[in-house]
Amino acid sequence: MKRFLETGNFAITEGAILAGCRFFSGYPITPATELAEAMSHRLPQVGGVYLQAEDECAAMHMCIGASLGGMKAMTATSGPGFILYADPYGWAIGCETPLVVLNSGRVGPVSGITGAPGQGEFYLTRYPTQGGNYETICLAPCSAQECMAMTIEAFYLSERFRMPVSVLADQLITDGFEDISVPENEAEMKEMGFRVWPRKVHPGPDFYPATDAIDIPPVVMGHNTRALCSDWTPTEEGYDIEEVEAHHKHAYRLIYKVRNHRDLFSHHYEKVHMGDDPDLIVVSYGTPSRVVNTAVKRARAQGLKVGALRLINLWPFPDEHFSRKSKYLSVELNWDGQLIREVQRAAPKDSEVHFLGTCGDLPTVPDLIETFEKILKNEPLTRRGWELEAW
Amino acid sequence: MKYSSSEIASTYLRPRKIPSTACSGCGLGMNHKIVVQAIRELGLEVADIVWGTSIGCAGRQTFATWKGDGFAGTHGRVYAIARGLRIVLPPEKKIILTVGDGDAFGIGLMHMIHAARSNADMTVIVNDNLGYQSTGGQYGWTTPQGSRTDSSPYGMFEHNLMSEGMDVLKIMKGAGATFLARHVAMDGTWAVDTVKKAILNKGFSLVHMPYPCPTNFASRELGSRNQVNIYRWIKERSAPIGQETENTVWATGIWHDASNSRPEFHEYVHETLEKIRRTGTI
Repeated sequence: MKRFLETGNFAITEGAILAGCRFFSGYPITPATELAEAMSHRLPQVGGVYLQAEDECAAMHMCIGASLGGMKAMTATSGPGFILYADPYGWAIGCETPLVVLNSGRVGPVSGITGAPGQGEFYLTRYPTQGGNYETICLAPCSAQECMAMTIEAFYLSERFRMPVSVLADQLITDGFEDISVPENEAEMKEMGFRVWPRKVHPGPDFYPATDAIDIPPVVMGHNTRALCSDWTPTEEGYDIEEVEAHHKHAYRLIYKVRNHRDLFSHHYEKVHMGDDPDLIVVSYGTPSRVVNTAVKRARAQGLKVGALRLINLWPFPDEHFSRKSKYLSVELNWDGQLIREVQRAAPKDSEVHFLGTCGDLPTVPDLIETFEKILKNEPLTRRGWELEAW
Repeated sequence: MKYSSSEIASTYLRPRKIPSTACSGCGLGMNHKIVVQAIRELGLEVADIVWGTSIGCAGRQTFATWKGDGFAGTHGRVYAIARGLRIVLPPEKKIILTVGDGDAFGIGLMHMIHAARSNADMTVIVNDNLGYQSTGGQYGWTTPQGSRTDSSPYGMFEHNLMSEGMDVLKIMKGAGATFLARHVAMDGTWAVDTVKKAILNKGFSLVHMPYPCPTNFASRELGSRNQVNIYRWIKERSAPIGQETENTVWATGIWHDASNSRPEFHEYVHETLEKIRRTGTI
């Protein structure tokens, strides 16, 4: 195992290569540019191809093309580029093309603040394209090391589910320097819990079976399997058809292949001080969760009965963690409150759900502890976020 | 003709897609046949070609007609998909794209320019039915000026890529395409010979092929769905390069042949990467 003091972008690059990624296409955008640069440096060394695209839409379409040709592919961007993925994302979902998409969140809307962390694409990673009738898988790491792990895991899941899988990071994780261990052989990869699934080729003729089964090889062009794929509703063989019944079968597969196999990734979460039914559960993902974990540990030392739930598997949303009637606090890097909506939905009826939002900067430990105290004492929160809706 | 239609169809096309789903009298089948016949005359087999299509009449009606592997992209993006595919597919596999004028010259123009810039080996057949006909008949970017369509009821008066001495092929030449040609659907075996050359060019080839739409375009512009009228209308507006008249909209024939004059995308990318692996530099 080799150790580095490097960025999350470095970790993602090495993770992708370990997972078998040999094609990357992207468009320069802060703060994902360094990832593209690292790929342009590393992929040629391992027999891979880096191609800079004319825009993000083309970048993801070129990844689709490479994946259709049988190569594991990845693209990366930030919010303003992620929006241009909407077109190819839908195609990849519909054609069940394995791909990995990394989004390093910054402060929006639109260009906003380029070099600061934000979590404004929580829902966009659930609904990255139009039309509905699909599920998405999204993983949210909170450190450079976990960036590597989740990139490898995203490739693994994208092959087994044959679909695009997104990794939702933010500027602090991808740009920040941290201690990173890179495995050097398969035994070390196994030891670190990294799983790799090889690319397979669907032999046909039923390229789009009406089933919720996973592990069906994806459609690959160039093997003369008479493979078909298109943006239209497919028959099982891939012909375009305009029939509701056929589309129902197609949509059912896109939704339930994920929903019925959540056990493959639902173990991706972290709980801190959650063993004794805490009075307040602090929910977060990504970088803020690191501050949350510290704050929760300190609050415990002060006698506050709080616990931290860090989500890594964001979508499909893991409702199972919210069965307890308790007080909840959602800590997010946005001011509009996105994760909180899912917490409100998943928590038992009449649960007290609070919000603490920062954007462009992390919450501080004292701020968090003060908020915990107020919530536990039933004192009103007078600061930040949508508690200011009296505006 | 060298080969009978039924022989070509049974060799290269899927029976499920015969007859065509295009409108009665549509000229798309003529363009389609020109391409498949060129493939036949080159002695290529089903396994030699991956066929991509786009959105709109031309893409939809040709999707899954090819007996081998086929894909359809979202609107205007098939050129980017094909470029990714080109990098991965073995260089001897041909990529042929049958697309429409809105797809190629409107929504997809930027992606196509970059495919030409990189000289990615693919043959793009732009089947131009003079506008957006599958949505009912709106003008496109190569619709002849003055044409009445559903979105130009007083006549199309915008500057476009075929007006005032402009020619969309000039853009593609400037972008680096190595083979450019234009034929109308009625050009028959002459067009077959051109498409053969387009396919043989190891690089980016484009053949612009206007074809008659008797249904939407003709009913608005000519007030008639009688096929012979729109066939004549197109014929009157096309002439071989060098024989243009003041009526000529489409100068036909090989417009720019720089076949095999520039390194091809797949080859130079892989050769360069191989060199980087060996020497650490380009």
